Amino acid sequence: MPLLVVLLFLSQDYSHRGFVESRGTLYPQTAINDSSHGVGELFVRYESFYRPSQRFQFAGAVEARTDTHRQTERNFRVDFDDRSLQRPMFSVRRLSAQYRGNYRGNLTVEAGKQLVRWGKTDIVNPTDRFAPRDFLTVVDSEFLGVYALRGTWESGSETIDVLWSPFLTPSRLPLQNQRWNVPPPGAASLPVSRTIPAGTQSGIRWSHIGFVEFSAAVYSGFDHLPVFEFDPVQNVIHESYPKLKMAGGDFAVPFPWLTLKSEAAYFDYPDPSGGAFVLYVVQLERQAGEWFFVGGYSGEVVTREAGLSASFNPDRGRTRTLLGRAGYTIDTNRSVAVEGAVRHNGDGVWLKSEYSQAFGQHWRVTAGFTLIRGNPADFIGQYRRNSHGSIAVRYSF
Amino acid sequence: MFPGVAPTSPLASRSTHVLPALVLTLCLALPALAQEPRAIVEEAQRRSVSASQRYEGTLSVIDAKNRISEKRWRYDRIGSHGNSKSVLRFTAPAEVKGVALLVVNNPTRSSDQWMWTPAIGRERRVAVQDRSQRFFGTDFSFEDLEERDTNQYDYRLLGEETFDGTTCWKIESRPKGSKTSQYTHSHLWVRRDNYVVVQIENYKKTQLIRRAHYTDVRSMQNIWTAQTIEMHDLERNSRTVLRIEKLQYNVPMKDEDFTIQALRQER
Repeated sequence: MPLLVVLLFLSQDYSHRGFVESRGTLYPQTAINDSSHGVGELFVRYESFYRPSQRFQFAGAVEARTDTHRQTERNFRVDFDDRSLQRPMFSVRRLSAQYRGNYRGNLTVEAGKQLVRWGKTDIVNPTDRFAPRDFLTVVDSEFLGVYALRGTWESGSETIDVLWSPFLTPSRLPLQNQRWNVPPPGAASLPVSRTIPAGTQSGIRWSHIGFVEFSAAVYSGFDHLPVFEFDPVQNVIHESYPKLKMAGGDFAVPFPWLTLKSEAAYFDYPDPSGGAFVLYVVQLERQAGEWFFVGGYSGEVVTREAGLSASFNPDRGRTRTLLGRAGYTIDTNRSVAVEGAVRHNGDGVWLKSEYSQAFGQHWRVTAGFTLIRGNPADFIGQYRRNSHGSIAVRYSF
Repeated sequence: MFPGVAPTSPLASRSTHVLPALVLTLCLALPALAQEPRAIVEEAQRRSVSASQRYEGTLSVIDAKNRISEKRWRYDRIGSHGNSKSVLRFTAPAEVKGVALLVVNNPTRSSDQWMWTPAIGRERRVAVQDRSQRFFGTDFSFEDLEERDTNQYDYRLLGEETFDGTTCWKIESRPKGSKTSQYTHSHLWVRRDNYVVVQIENYKKTQLIRRAHYTDVRSMQNIWTAQTIEMHDLERNSRTVLRIEKLQYNVPMKDEDFTIQALRQER
């Protein structure tokens, strides 16, 4: 068996990459439910690809992590489905088999755990329905893989992407006893009863490339973000993932000085207490010399009010918001970037600045500061005690 | 053009039987001499035509303070010049491993380009107005990664010069209206003995912006090819030296490996 592994590594059809990252985060302020000021994390990711023939490819990615703040489980198990409240110590991020053929165009079929990204805009992607995230640190979320059977057919400038997922992978929410969970007054001590629905999800996306790139997508399944309802009889909060139907699209148009991108989606929650709304993003982007700029606006139009349930929805939480990102490459090894979101009524401000420097072929140090201010009733503003500085050292291999 | 290293000019083409035409021109008609620079360039292109090309490139980026950083990429091309497609995929350093660029060249207009970044799991179209930007910290711009077609340029013979010890034609090329370019014009040095382009200077109005110097020219599978290309960004005083290794022409390749879907597949 070890010989087989060695032979696999030596094979020209095998490639891999990964990194080890150590990160320290310092919070100057304590939070109501979290008295700590610092979090230390250690994280390893290893991705590999094996192509036994021109037609087949296997992809795998595993992660190992630990931290000082109990965001990560302490028990030794390998997690496959990303449904735990805490991050697992060992997890499979991707494990899929892919077939490529030619049937009046290029056909790719991928089965297994994979990462799926839809949409064109940055920061907020209304059509990105197969992309649950790890929101333990809400403002630095990471995508999670989903189990799916995916078929992509490409002919000329048209591509059709069809997905079927046998079960829901929910987004990982901020932990109840930690600062990124800001409960309503009095609700902190209530137990939460979590129900993840059984049932499948499916979606289809048609995209066109040309001078103008555009796509249209529909989705039917569940929202990977939850709603919460208080049950006064059992004195418990029910966390559930509502049924969702989505129809949306995006486009990108290059103009002589900048590129215009837009993405919009209509969300319909068919449950009796579910609402309906449109999320949209319009953004402009441009590169100039060593600079790049992205600026835009994210908005929302509610077409049917929801019932009394509360939700955790960072995408909706960043609507009616001006969004921007700018970066400058100082030289081949150093860069700075600033990213921000400002609610149009001024109730929430999030600003993130970052300096990054590479050392040699493998090492990179990134130092950043995130400022959060605003009204406690605002999605961004509720995290006003979570401004923080961080430093990360990464070794890539 | 540059990563497709047959050092033939920014000019690619589907030229055909140029030599008889040249002979006829020289012998019979003085006015036809006006066609000579295009004929030279087309002959240079013709000599570099191949069905496909593959190489591994090592890039040394040397900044104005002489700090050096190394990168490596693997380059695959199918087709030739204005009718070609190429995929360039970084293999080092580790943090950019997997980043890839798909270039679909067009005979009558600027290329289409998409960049795949594994860290965000998305491809992004490189807009035409952004093609003058440096490609991933090197001194090649996105436009420099195109293979251009002779039909997109007008040519003028500037004379003859000795360059790197050989006699060269010095030719000016100017993009036609259909071609969007950051450069107003370029000067090419084409060797008289084997029609290899050994230097290209790219100008914005009167200012020299970038200079590509092709050296270590060897015949590889009967195609004269530079093994080293030095791109000098004169505005930043930064240089990138691309060394070509494991170069092969006419490797069996499939069209389906040069699509956005294929770009997403990592190897």
